[in-house]
Amino acid sequence: MTAVSERTVTAVARKRRISVGFTASAITLAIFVVAALAPNILSTQDPLAMDFTQALQSPSLAHWFGTDESGRDLFSRVVYGTRESLAIGVGAAGLAILVALVLGSIAALAGRIPAGIVNRLIEVLFAFPTLLLALLLVSVLGASPITLVISVGLGSAPGYARMVRGQILSSKNSGYVEAARALGHSRFTIFRQHILPNALRPLIAIFTMGVGQSIVWASGMAFIGLGVAPPSSEWGALLDAGRAYITQASWLVVLPGFVIVVLALAATTLGKHIQSSLEKGETA
Amino acid sequence: MTLMHTHTTKTAPLIAAGIVAMLALSGCSAGGSIAPAADAKQLTGGTVSYGHQQEPACVYGGWIEQAYLSYQVLDNLLSLDENHKIVPWLAETWQASDDQLSWTFTLKDGVSFTDGTPVNAEAIAYNFDYWANGGNSTAAVWLGGYYESAEAIDDLTVKVNLAKPYPLFAENLTQSYFGIQSKQALETRTEEENCAAPIGSGAFTVGEWNRGENIELIRNDDYNSAPANAKHEGPSYVEKVDWKFISDATTRVSALRAGEADAIYDVPAIEWESVGEQGYEQLKYITPGRPQQISFNTAKGIFTDENLRKAFVYSLDRESIVDTIGKGVIPYEGNGAVSQSTPGYSEKAADAYSFDLDKANKLLDEAGWTERDDDGYRVKDGETLDVQFPYAAGRIINADGAAILQGVQEQAKAAGFKVDLIPIPASAAASGKYSGEDGYDISVGYWTSVNAGIQYIIWRQNLQESPNPSNAAFYNDPALEDLIIRANSALETDEQNALYAEAQEYIADRALSVGLYDRLSTLAVNPSLKDVWQESSQGGPVFHDAYFVG
Amino acid sequence: MTHTLLARKADAPAPARGRLTVSPRTRSVIDKLIGAVVVLWGAATAAFLAQIALPGDRATTILNVRSGQTQLRTPEELAPINAEYGLQNPIVVQYLDYIGGLLRGDLGISYQQHRPVWGIIAEQVGATLTLTAVTLVLAWLIMVFWVTLTAGRSSRIRALGSGVDTVTAGLPPYWLGIILLLVFALGLGWFPVIGGAGANGIVLPALTLAIPLAGFMGQATRTEFERSLDAPFIVTARMRGMGDLSIRLRHVLRHAVLPAVTLSGWAIGSTISGAVIAESLFTRPGIGRVLIAAVDSQDLPVVTGIVVLVAAAYVITNLLVDLAYIVIDPRMKNS
Repeated sequence: MTAVSERTVTAVARKRRISVGFTASAITLAIFVVAALAPNILSTQDPLAMDFTQALQSPSLAHWFGTDESGRDLFSRVVYGTRESLAIGVGAAGLAILVALVLGSIAALAGRIPAGIVNRLIEVLFAFPTLLLALLLVSVLGASPITLVISVGLGSAPGYARMVRGQILSSKNSGYVEAARALGHSRFTIFRQHILPNALRPLIAIFTMGVGQSIVWASGMAFIGLGVAPPSSEWGALLDAGRAYITQASWLVVLPGFVIVVLALAATTLGKHIQSSLEKGETA
Repeated sequence: MTLMHTHTTKTAPLIAAGIVAMLALSGCSAGGSIAPAADAKQLTGGTVSYGHQQEPACVYGGWIEQAYLSYQVLDNLLSLDENHKIVPWLAETWQASDDQLSWTFTLKDGVSFTDGTPVNAEAIAYNFDYWANGGNSTAAVWLGGYYESAEAIDDLTVKVNLAKPYPLFAENLTQSYFGIQSKQALETRTEEENCAAPIGSGAFTVGEWNRGENIELIRNDDYNSAPANAKHEGPSYVEKVDWKFISDATTRVSALRAGEADAIYDVPAIEWESVGEQGYEQLKYITPGRPQQISFNTAKGIFTDENLRKAFVYSLDRESIVDTIGKGVIPYEGNGAVSQSTPGYSEKAADAYSFDLDKANKLLDEAGWTERDDDGYRVKDGETLDVQFPYAAGRIINADGAAILQGVQEQAKAAGFKVDLIPIPASAAASGKYSGEDGYDISVGYWTSVNAGIQYIIWRQNLQESPNPSNAAFYNDPALEDLIIRANSALETDEQNALYAEAQEYIADRALSVGLYDRLSTLAVNPSLKDVWQESSQGGPVFHDAYFVG
Repeated sequence: MTHTLLARKADAPAPARGRLTVSPRTRSVIDKLIGAVVVLWGAATAAFLAQIALPGDRATTILNVRSGQTQLRTPEELAPINAEYGLQNPIVVQYLDYIGGLLRGDLGISYQQHRPVWGIIAEQVGATLTLTAVTLVLAWLIMVFWVTLTAGRSSRIRALGSGVDTVTAGLPPYWLGIILLLVFALGLGWFPVIGGAGANGIVLPALTLAIPLAGFMGQATRTEFERSLDAPFIVTARMRGMGDLSIRLRHVLRHAVLPAVTLSGWAIGSTISGAVIAESLFTRPGIGRVLIAAVDSQDLPVVTGIVVLVAAAYVITNLLVDLAYIVIDPRMKNS
């Protein structure tokens, strides 16, 4: 039947393209990682060096992304800002997942009372406005990458926690756990060998997507004055600093924003690929 | 998605370039001709749509943002004209006694508050007590140490008694913190009512306040008490002012260009030139008083050493930073004590320091900060030459200001200072967390006033029996205080200015505080709206004389 | 996103173990109510404690905000303020006063605006709710249109569809907002720059929030949508000769939107945090901006009042989302 053959063709095509998409996003992310670890490879100019005679130059061969109000090279600033931005993304997503694992495991596995308490705690975290959490944290800790990591991380933790709980609950009742139980394995062994890996696996994909999303979130924090202290060129801070200049020097906002979008896109794409390959692995 | 992805990577730069081009277009497209026809006539009535930046919690209070607003609603006893001369407002005449210890004000006859009660001596005397007792914290600071009592001599004559001679007393009363409110309103209305809609005798009354959006100011049809420097007597020409709060600078300028605002406040330096080219009327006022300056903590930390303070100042090319960021709109200010628009301003104090990196390095070497670490910061006995520099982002330091501070940070680095710029959120700034001796090495900020008497508020000693937390340098010096008090009390203007100048030089010589830039109050006005002007005590917009043409 | 759905299902109350006196349904209702109260109390307490933990002195803040300064204050200046708001009382007393007020439905008086917090919230909540509602409607319209149009088509269109989802979901809202403002309000003049009250003024702020949300929901819906397209009942419907579009809209969509419903619930809950950017940019009133101003001036009654309100909104929304599940997916009735 034609339908079948069509479907097979699509499947083959999809498989090939999956590897293309995977490769493209992996390469993009690899470039960002290089920028984070060794920014001097990608950029030759000092991101902090001011040159007042070169203020607000539009993008050119000498300055690929143009210059800012003090004549600093925007491309170098974006490259050097990668480390902090990526660290914020990774840190926030990591913190969120760590908190989620702890809360989610307790909620799914502990006795009725502790589970009930943790469930309520997750609800309270959900109900507490992330904006307020960030505002309060920055008042106490000051504006820094750490503050952003904590507020974005805690802000996204309850969603992940629910997910973890759901995963654990479903694997707890699955056949192989029943079997392990029947074989007399201890609760801890069952948790470590069966439940935890099952709960962790989808989190790898979630984490990858979370990195991109956290960076987008963090850039929004800078807008409401909760960014990283100058002269950092963390991307949210760059966006915020460029705000006043957008009608006259739009590259100061457009280009850093574009970099954020590209990173988020690459991270999400990669995450989706990991997710779909995991799902395939599960069904196989 | 995958296709899209590769597609995106290829066309990404193109898309970005497209957005840049589109935005560049949008910046100018709203140009066109905005000028009214040559034969345009004066229109009566209408609503002025005005875009302001910050929204205070109450109309009246001790913050400059409140002064701008309360000016529209409350009249003062006296007004300051553009030549810095005191002219009548609610008071027709004013005079100090021979011993300078009492002031007598004679009021205009027939003026009423908008609640119908008369503006009489009793009401004025009540207002003085109200201010001194904390009804307006800033007014209270100005009166502190001088004000004793106020009494109604007859219906239209009020006498104010002072503890010390204070020739500038009358001049200070022109600031909107000294706006006169109805005694009945203060006594009988709730705090909430007086906060949202104070009752004065001004050209407008407060209508609806949609918090987060706008305040409606409604014409006082019975207005008969315009200040002598107004362009006309009687009620204002326009019926209403729609005082909008547009916090984002880009949005504010866009609203002007889109014709949604007839006038806007605080035009960012980057937009100034193009707004002018597009035909908008531009008003710029350098607020007198303390400019945007940096004060060193002389009580604790590295800047207790005068030579280190000097080294820091020598390491800065303040003028070039301000000129670059300020685009010729924001004026450079070398004087840390008062701004160039303040009477008695000392050029000598302003020129005391110019960029000299060698001198900075020499002073630092002499002070024993001879080693440098890998990043180029100086080190002594294992300690880095660290400078804590918090600033209240957004509220006191705007975006241009933050860019200027980054210039300071970068320049001081060349001399080996590691400046930690710490943007502090408003709550932490106001909470006093960064305000004590342990809070900073350098503090930055301004304080508007109408004369150099601001030095008394700032440099008066901070003593147990008479605390002065406004002394941001923590600098207690009886000689400086004495100099300023003598200036405050001097009867002759020349003598007074000479003493004020001496105080400024005293401050500059010891590098207690140095200037960065002058605080501006700017307006851009659509040419179809005429005769908007800036009042001279603090630079706020005046809409009483404004009218539309068409 | 499929995992969110999974979690949801696993969340469904376990079969009641059977107490004799109370029916499972009543027990579940009681549980939910107790849970709601606990969440409200928890959020209120967290907000109170966090405010208390802020650095510096509250009375100093109140005074400095009123005068636009950032300095220390003398005890004489602070005494009247401490007395007025009871700030000199022990924390426990302040807390009990606060909880007592909440129980009486009294949120207190703002330190800065000198008026009841209820009034402040009531005045602002309308604007925020309107923005949220319009955002949700736009996001759903965009998402349903785009997913129905592109999901399960040829591989190129599929890729385009999900690529657009991914890109829009990753747009920083501020960045998107300012570009919308400059292009559509200032450049083309289609919409006003300042949001204001007019119907036209809400389009751009709502789009600023709706476009990323549509991307998120699209990502979640698309997977389910494509899965449903292959489901046996769809094949049956096709065999019965139903048109492609009506299959997509009437059958497939219904099965695919559950994750988007969950996301909408979440979006309503996070409105305060998200909307503030659109509110500031387009100069709209709203709870988010009030919250920022209140935190800036340590106006504790306003901050805690808003938190309680948001928590209440969250609790109610979640009950509604549960209800929506039952309406959309009849199978849930039995579980």
